[in-house]
Amino acid sequence: MTKIKEAIRPYIEIEGGLMPALHAVQEMEGYISNDAISELGLAFNYSNAEVLDVLTYYDDFTLEPSGEHVIRVCRAEACQSLMSKELTDHLTDHFGMSLGETTNDSKITLKEVFCLGNCALGPSVMINETVIGEANKDKVLNFLNDIESKN
Amino acid sequence: MATPIKIYIPNETTSNSVGAIQVHRAISNLIGIEEAEIIRNGTWGAFWLEPFIEVEKEGNRIGVCYKGVDLSKLKTLDDFLSDFESRDPFDIRNIEFIKEQKRIVFSRIGKGDPLDISFYQNQGGYDSLKNALSLDQQNVIDKIKESGLTGRGGAAFPTGIKMQTVSDQSSSLKYLACNADEGDGGTFSDRLIMESDPFALIEGMTIAAYAVGASKGYIYLRSEYPLAKIYLTRAIGIARENNFLGTNIQSSNFDFEIELRIGAGSYVCGEETAMMESIEGRRGLVRSKPPLPAINGLFDKPTLINNVVTLATIPPLLNGSLSEFSDLGSGKSVGTMPFQLCGNIEQSGLVEIGFDITISEMIKKYGKRTKSGKPIHAIQIGGPLGIYLSSRMMSTKLTIESLQSIKGSVGHGGIVVFDNTVDMSEQAKFAMEFCAKESCGKCTPCRIGSVRGVEIIDRLQKNRSSKEDSILLNELCKTMEATSLCAMGGMTPNPIYSIINNFPNELVEK
Repeated sequence: MTKIKEAIRPYIEIEGGLMPALHAVQEMEGYISNDAISELGLAFNYSNAEVLDVLTYYDDFTLEPSGEHVIRVCRAEACQSLMSKELTDHLTDHFGMSLGETTNDSKITLKEVFCLGNCALGPSVMINETVIGEANKDKVLNFLNDIESKN
Repeated sequence: MATPIKIYIPNETTSNSVGAIQVHRAISNLIGIEEAEIIRNGTWGAFWLEPFIEVEKEGNRIGVCYKGVDLSKLKTLDDFLSDFESRDPFDIRNIEFIKEQKRIVFSRIGKGDPLDISFYQNQGGYDSLKNALSLDQQNVIDKIKESGLTGRGGAAFPTGIKMQTVSDQSSSLKYLACNADEGDGGTFSDRLIMESDPFALIEGMTIAAYAVGASKGYIYLRSEYPLAKIYLTRAIGIARENNFLGTNIQSSNFDFEIELRIGAGSYVCGEETAMMESIEGRRGLVRSKPPLPAINGLFDKPTLINNVVTLATIPPLLNGSLSEFSDLGSGKSVGTMPFQLCGNIEQSGLVEIGFDITISEMIKKYGKRTKSGKPIHAIQIGGPLGIYLSSRMMSTKLTIESLQSIKGSVGHGGIVVFDNTVDMSEQAKFAMEFCAKESCGKCTPCRIGSVRGVEIIDRLQKNRSSKEDSILLNELCKTMEATSLCAMGGMTPNPIYSIINNFPNELVEK
């Protein structure tokens, strides 16, 4: 609880501080918990419902923890022209789940994203904060193996 | 002592996405590397050549693509240099793709370390701000008006007029908001400025703020651009340390601060009123206009809102390039436009050039051919709210006026090429699906109409000759167009109309 308070504190006095405060909590905890919602409400003088109203609008804020690694597959037009649909199918088949789901062992969350600005060398996939260009299933899996073996 | 060899390794999202990070790691570990100077430059924007590694010896700078190269066998700096020579390196400034462009706004990208403020200043950076601070504020606005610059974010509104409106407000507190929520599929020019020449944006913002009397600036950056966040954070800090931001900038009476705000994955937040809502800490719902943001914007104060490229275009206009810029083109299509050539195209990248070029010239000169080798079937111009043109329409000019006359727009300058494997009914469905996903929900025709649109197109895919569904789709599009507050609902019909008209029988039977 005090950790959340501390994460929020720098943003209380700044104009429109709720967004950066939500980012801070999401980054620290991996999701926005009920406790965090109450703390944010107290800090910004909002009801819990008002905090929930804001955070549920944005894809980046989640009410549940995501997997250890988040894979975002770009579904925007430039990647579509380079067979991103097939890539998405390969990945959903491989992990045996749909976009928006997390593996049972909480390792991987697969999400869609609309444009990573990597349109010149698509199809693009973002794993955590790393963008992979000219992506295919093997590149994605090799990257995951690499980061896993470093852990 | 001889000047050390310089090795340029780009640090930019697309270059990194195809191996620049690995190349940098390998080169950094070479035995004897301390004899050379490694410079992490930006990209030149010729992306099919990335990761493009350059070596500079005695002022002679040449480079070559290192995509997929296994560097593990190279042990020493000399090994690397002889490997480099064996790959026939060349001067990238001499290739047609770069040489034929007219880079005024993107004149520095690729050349040096984007965070090296001395490099920036040696290349003419900050001369414009110093010049602006010596001028009357109205003089600065007049120069922007004179240049003919229109907003490069998509709406193409005259930048000087917007600045005048903000300047004319008597409020003691005014804001500048830089829209860096570059969300259109097929665009990356804002990102290139932020990652490869961030001081250009900061300088442009500072000049614009001085001109209109704003004391605080926000950059609203989309969260999908983590590297741009790193560059901007550092560049803002460096600018502050060098008194290019803060109080009494360059010993003038002008104070200006920039704060970086990060979006959270909403496309509509690139719409200016939704962006303001988000900066203020609320859901990104669009506001109805009036009041114009220039009169009553962020926190109810007059606010100048421009996108990244527009603001980065301001410094060259005050630094001797004004006539070079304004002499190009006519009407609304004045100056250079950074087109972003991408999708299924061999030579993909940033093409800054005058608007007065046909699609076919753009493809022949810069893009060459599809990456797949198959014939071009469709070209999407202007992002998800732009239009699809067929291969029979290649003589269309890329001017704002020419595209407007066929119900399209240049938008943010994205050009996405598709080969003949594309299913245009899927592209039409995607337009509606994207709208359903990204609609802020304020206007019913956008929120619900887009869902109905997906359903109708689903049915048409099974039976393209259904008159009933074809009429229904058309009526739905007309309703969305007429009754949505912002471009999300209002312009989503544009790609659909273009597919119906330019690709007969591919969505509905004529």
